[in-house]
Amino acid sequence: MGSPPHFYKWATRSLPWLAGLAVIVFCVGLTWGIGFSPTDYKQGDVYRIIYIHVPSAILAESIYIFMAISGFISMVWRAKIAGMLINSAAPIGAGFTLVALLTGSIWGKPTWGTWWVWDARLTSTLILFFLYAAIIGLHSSIENKTKGDRAVAILAVLGVVIVPIIKKSVDWWQTLHQPSTFTLTSSPSMPPEMYLPLLVCVLGFYFLFIFMLTNSLRGEIISRERDKSWVKKQFFKY
Amino acid sequence: MTNRDNTLDWFMLVLRRDLTLSFRRSATYITPLIFFLIVVTFFPLALGPSQSLLSSLAAGIIWISALLSSLLAVEGIFSEDYRDGTLDQYFVSSEPVFILIFAKVLCHWLVCGAPIILASILSSIFLYLPSGALFALIISLLLGTLFMSLLGALGAALALGKSAILSAIIVLPFSIPTLLMGTAIMSAAVNQQDYSGFLSIMGAMLAVGIPGLCLLTVEAILLNYE
Repeated sequence: MGSPPHFYKWATRSLPWLAGLAVIVFCVGLTWGIGFSPTDYKQGDVYRIIYIHVPSAILAESIYIFMAISGFISMVWRAKIAGMLINSAAPIGAGFTLVALLTGSIWGKPTWGTWWVWDARLTSTLILFFLYAAIIGLHSSIENKTKGDRAVAILAVLGVVIVPIIKKSVDWWQTLHQPSTFTLTSSPSMPPEMYLPLLVCVLGFYFLFIFMLTNSLRGEIISRERDKSWVKKQFFKY
Repeated sequence: MTNRDNTLDWFMLVLRRDLTLSFRRSATYITPLIFFLIVVTFFPLALGPSQSLLSSLAAGIIWISALLSSLLAVEGIFSEDYRDGTLDQYFVSSEPVFILIFAKVLCHWLVCGAPIILASILSSIFLYLPSGALFALIISLLLGTLFMSLLGALGAALALGKSAILSAIIVLPFSIPTLLMGTAIMSAAVNQQDYSGFLSIMGAMLAVGIPGLCLLTVEAILLNYE
């Protein structure tokens, strides 16, 4: 699992399956949520944007935690793949964070009457975006990729301090944003016809992330190991 | 030279060396001080001299200026020692390197942080900070600038030999908890509320940050030796 050629083979074989799974779950969740779930009695149909907003916000945080774990693994065990994982996950995470911010802003205009408020939740998501940007920026500034992986691992591990603050911030300085949709301790405050499609959407986004990560990791492996004999054998059959 | 086998002796040795070097070159402690005062002066110029407005913004302005100037000052903390091989000697010595790194950071804080704290007293007059909050300002900056020096050292180690703006981009998002705690202390003090809770959180961050950030900094410097 740890060696790049082995991982490459595994990734190539599972990629179509992952893509299929992601597309199916994603489509089911979105059609169910947007087409068939009941209209909110207060917000009307505007609320349906949560079927994109909430999953991408959840992903934005999960991907960061995922990067921190890979960073820790790459720091302690010097695992090559773990280092590449951070590098491949960072742009995806930044993308999901941006989607969460944009959809939230689009939803906020008709509902709260403003594109942006300096609410704790919004601010910390913006900070999360800056953290992703710092990681991407540091990595791109270092010529040697393996060295860059380890530098970024240090930042990712340090950033774990920030993610709990993001989580806690809602309870500390809540102003406008509603509390988390899903918590582990109690059932959600919406009816099941609304949150079940949302759960499917979250699952679909996770599959989408796994697919994108595997895909970009494949490319990363090839570009790093392009001088190795197994890559040459793969692409130039002579 | 006497036989040194105590880590604390080495810690003091590095601290004394760095302090001597800093005092021989006045730019190290004057530049951040002047930078701090200039940034503070810019706010009344940009926002207008209204006393009530400046008074309500004073704590935030001073905090942001202190954050930026201590960050900019720490940017070159390792570059000279890296170039002339002093850092190599730390790594081949038998002492734990992160303690020696902490001595360097502590020296930087003494040389740059302390003048900034003194200048913040002056700025609190410039910006009409309510006088009851002055003690809170000093004590919060005391902890906050040390944390910034630690964070800045990590940024400097990661961006060793690269542009200063890169190390600022790396470090600034991570400094937000410190900024939030510092300004929470200040707004509590201005409203004459108890701020010891926020101060404790900041102290806890520092207690975790000193060993944690120094270890990560060592890890980051090591990257340059491969």
